[in-house]
Amino acid sequence: MSPEGTRESVSTGHSPIICFDHASFGFPGLIALKDITLPIYDGEFVGVIGPNGSGKTTLCRAVLGLLPPVEGHLHIFDCACSELRCHHRARIGYLPQKGVVDRNFPVTVLETVMMGRYGALGLLKRPGKKDRQIAMEALTQVGMESHKDTALGHLSGGQQQRVFIARALAQQPKVLILDEPTTGLDIAMQHNVIELVQHLHDNLKLTVLLITHDINMIRSRVDRLVLLKTKLYAAGPPADVLKPEILHQVYGKELVITEKDLVIVEDYHHHH
Amino acid sequence: MLDLLAYDFMQRSLLAAAMVGGLCSVIGVFVVLRGLAFVGAGTSHAAFAGVALGYLMGWPPLLLAILFGLATVWITGWVEERGRMKLDVSIGILYTTTMALGILFIGLMKTYNAEVYGYLFGSVLSVTPEELRIIGALSVLVLSLLLLFAKELYFIAFDQEMAEASGVPARQMFFLLLTLVALTVVVSLKTVGAILVFAMILIPASTAYQLTHSLRTLTLYSALIGITTSVCGVLISAIWDIPSGPAIVLLATAMFFTAVLLSPKRLKRTGVVHTH
Repeated sequence: MSPEGTRESVSTGHSPIICFDHASFGFPGLIALKDITLPIYDGEFVGVIGPNGSGKTTLCRAVLGLLPPVEGHLHIFDCACSELRCHHRARIGYLPQKGVVDRNFPVTVLETVMMGRYGALGLLKRPGKKDRQIAMEALTQVGMESHKDTALGHLSGGQQQRVFIARALAQQPKVLILDEPTTGLDIAMQHNVIELVQHLHDNLKLTVLLITHDINMIRSRVDRLVLLKTKLYAAGPPADVLKPEILHQVYGKELVITEKDLVIVEDYHHHH
Repeated sequence: MLDLLAYDFMQRSLLAAAMVGGLCSVIGVFVVLRGLAFVGAGTSHAAFAGVALGYLMGWPPLLLAILFGLATVWITGWVEERGRMKLDVSIGILYTTTMALGILFIGLMKTYNAEVYGYLFGSVLSVTPEELRIIGALSVLVLSLLLLFAKELYFIAFDQEMAEASGVPARQMFFLLLTLVALTVVVSLKTVGAILVFAMILIPASTAYQLTHSLRTLTLYSALIGITTSVCGVLISAIWDIPSGPAIVLLATAMFFTAVLLSPKRLKRTGVVHTH
């Protein structure tokens, strides 16, 4: 476990798997993301940061093909976003923000993970032995295979999060999108989930889009950081993005970077 | 009691009750899990307005009930999708509007029509062979569609946005579910009546919900509870000469409270938390 270890950057010679080209999203008069130009390459680990309401979740929904751009273009797997068919969507694993799912829903862990197969299977087809096997492998990846028959509602928040990651993996995705996966978890479990995401990125060669508020937790792990606040403020290696002059534009002047490269909010009272 | 079973009308009503009980309780699972309970209530009143208009104008009442029911669920679904209005507000308005229409249509009738009241309060003992055939055909249709799209419907009930994101045609499945709810309500109008049909959708599924954590078992329990309470309700209604709708619904309610008291989920919650 070496969270502070340096990571070799991935080669970006090939064409992007997701490509925003001057794309804007939202409704006329209420633009959530404006003029985004951003290529994301196969196998990249990208961290998306920005204040609340900066359009991070909109970015997710756009990549999932749920929200076509009102201006500009978005290409996913070389398809225009509006042409994105269900079977393309099945190749993108998604972990939505917590709180969207009813935790007391009568469903077991394995049943939850099996749902990840439904999109790829298509209508009118029943999941078979192979799908069960894929679901079990996904559960093993996240270390939850021994809980397969447990009711989802009986698990802790961190365990449930692992099950939902397994469901995304059961889609056998090329891209994994996680929308604030650590929200509401205790600090050990937060670390645990981020470790798991990095493990999946490294082992399964997944392209990962990780949305988070916790800059310090991910800065040493991601290949690139994307800083959003309606517009794209910066995108590049963490060291290039986490500069005081860039962060101040987005978060305000209280944000400081310590000698140990931690991004923190300066204590107001300390100086007055 | 065995003498009763020899009558044609009794056999017909038991068959109708079993079909309606099974249908309502199976679709009820999806309704309860997707949080559409109130939609069921709104639809039944809309369907009743259709029946009343049918009798007023001399048009086929069941056809109009289907039209009114479908219009209500589709408007409801559209409003929820657009996020324009809270779902309970839009249904609340449709619910009372269609009920007002129903009362208006009855008021416009020159003579008292007992059949209309049959649809309002339920009169399973007067089900005709033709109505039984319609109930049978619609039940087969609704159950086949439920079975064909079961995995998608389960997924959207669990989390519609997630289902859509992972490549399931979730919007289409949501409208399919709403359509099936409307058809179920119409099928059940004659048996339990517009006011009580909603209970048959809600109660068996909610009772089963207390008893299991598995989707499959939940559906099975719900269907068993729905069929049993419907059939027993009709028998009680015939033996003691009380209205069938209330007999079925009160029996189901009694089962619900028993299940709540004995719920393994509830007992587990108050008991020791087990570690894995």
